[in-house]
Formats: sequence, structure tokens, C-alpha cells
Amino acid sequence: MIATSYALNKILTALARQHLSKDRLTDDDLAGHDLSEAERAALEAGDIAALYHLGANPYLIRRVFRSRFPI
Amino acid sequence: MAEIVAAALTSHAPLITGKPEVSRPEQRDRLYAGFHELHRRLAAARPDLLVMFVNDHLQNFPYSNMPAFCVGLAKAYDAPSPGGARLMRIPPRKIAGAPEWGMALLESGLAAGFDFAYSYEIESWDELSVPLHFLTPEGAVPVVPVYTNCGAPPLPTPRRCHEVGAFVGAFIRSRPATERVALVATGGISHWVGTPETGRINPDFDQRVLDHVARADIEPLIRLTRDEIERDGGNGGQEIRNWIALLGAVPGWKGEVLAYAPVAEWITGCATVWVHP
Repeated sequence: MIATSYALNKILTALARQHLSKDRLTDDDLAGHDLSEAERAALEAGDIAALYHLGANPYLIRRVFRSRFPI
Repeated sequence: MAEIVAAALTSHAPLITGKPEVSRPEQRDRLYAGFHELHRRLAAARPDLLVMFVNDHLQNFPYSNMPAFCVGLAKAYDAPSPGGARLMRIPPRKIAGAPEWGMALLESGLAAGFDFAYSYEIESWDELSVPLHFLTPEGAVPVVPVYTNCGAPPLPTPRRCHEVGAFVGAFIRSRPATERVALVATGGISHWVGTPETGRINPDFDQRVLDHVARADIEPLIRLTRDEIERDGGNGGQEIRNWIALLGAVPGWKGEVLAYAPVAEWITGCATVWVHP
């Protein structure tokens, strides 16, 4: 069974398509998105491991939070 | 019947062109030489058309509508777009499509029970842009991409990918004799990207894949499960579906590995492979 968060992937897809790279997301970025508290916290912290475990697609994590990856 | 005049397998990764300077020169030179040799052989084969087995990276197909297999019907493909060009550090350009050919493939597939999705507009990421930067720098050969979902699980099985490739091969052979078609599959081999293990590469898995390709012994690859690939090849390793599809189109053809290097700085086990009868 694949664990996927549609809410996370929806917001990350929108940002990736604009070729926007972020260190963390702001309240403005998150406005209008239906996210759990854990999802919101992970996006606002730019916590790439937490996002992965919450079901964000790793390609989208990489695209949006590129600066968070050491390599 | 139309002829499959060439076939090649390559990795794709934005850093191959985006950050050449960070890689070790001997690895970079080996891989670039492999790409240049593929370019030379491909040009010598004089294809009219490239059929490309590739995968999207959530740039085009969203979680609101995710195709397992999708035929490109665009008049032209961003390869790359201006936005992607900044990251891949190659000039933005449009590569011509072949929408009538793609439509014929699509209709034939649907008639045969291959329920392809289709798309008239695709902004390619590294799946087309990076390999074509090397393989068709002139940009003169139109492409028909066949996209397979390798990155947004659940994914189609490797066996189904092989069947799709076999269908594409049969379709090509049903086409008029004047057509010269080259096949290119991009992706893989092992890489972990965007996961907590980002940067990991598994050269043992890569060698296993290359050995099977070299011997045209691909049944063991077809039998791989998604979990096995994820464990040994990482989430990026799922892209070997594209290679498996291509090999389905040319049964018995063997791979000649022109170059392989596990490039840590590009976070990818990178290969260039020529496939021939």
C-alpha cells in the first residue's frame, strides 16, 4: 500500500511547475490548502525527511526544497 | 515494413548538464564520451523519427490525473523550457514532435487493448532535455515520447512496460517501409532522489541491470517488483521501466555498454548503452 498525501503533492506540484525553489514555505504559500498540522509544520520547517514520511513525492520535495539537500 | 534503425539506453539527470564541474573528471569524461558516441552512431543510422520511452517527474501529470502510459501528441516539446534551462544549464529549445505518427500509435494501441492516455502539451524535464542535448544537438529529428509512470506510485509493472514496448515495436514494423525509426529510453539506473537517502547509488544493482541488458536476458528484470527495485535501485531506479519497454520492442537485441559510472555528485548511476541485433 502506497502512502501518498494528495494535499502535500498538490501544493508542491504547483510550486515545482513555477520552477520556484524554497527553503521553507510561508503562511501565504499555504493559504487555501487543506493540510494536516503535521503537513503544515513540515512545509513551514522545510523538513524534507518529515515530508517524505508524510507521503510527499520525493521528486517534488527535491524540486521545491532543493536548497535543503546537501548534495 | 518500417525499420528500427537504432536503439539506445541512457540515464537522465539534471546535474549531468547542470553541474558538470562538480563531478570527477574521469567519470564525466567517460560518460560524455559515451553520449557523444551514441550521437555519432545515431546520426549514422539516419533516423526520421525518435520514439522515446521516458517518464515525467510531476512536471506535467499531476496527482489529480496520473496516466500509467501516455503518448505525446504535441507539435513540439519544451526540451528544456526557459525555467528548466536555468537549472540544467542548457539552452531552452523546442524539439519537433510527430503528432500524426503519435496519433496512429495511439489509435492502434487502443484498438489492441493498450489503453494509452495522450497529451498535446508536455514540458519536458531532464527525461528528454538532457539526453537530447547530446544525442540530437542539431534538434532535427522529431520525437514521439511514450511516457510511463515511474515516479508517482503505484506504478505499472515492469512486465506491462515490456508488453507496451513490444506493442510499440510491432506497430513500428507495421508502418510503411520508408520510415526509419530510432528508439531511445532514458532513466535509471540506481539513484535515490528526494528521499532521506538522497545521494545513495548502488553499483551492484546497476551492474546487474547492465549484465542482463548485455546478454538480452531481461526476464529477470521483467520479474522485478516495485519493492525490489525501490530497495536495490532507489526511487530513481524505478525508471528502468523505460529501458524494459524499449527492450520489449527489439526482442533479442543486446546492449553494448559504452560508459558507466556511479556519479555521486550527480546522485545517479549513469550509463550510456547502444542496443543492436
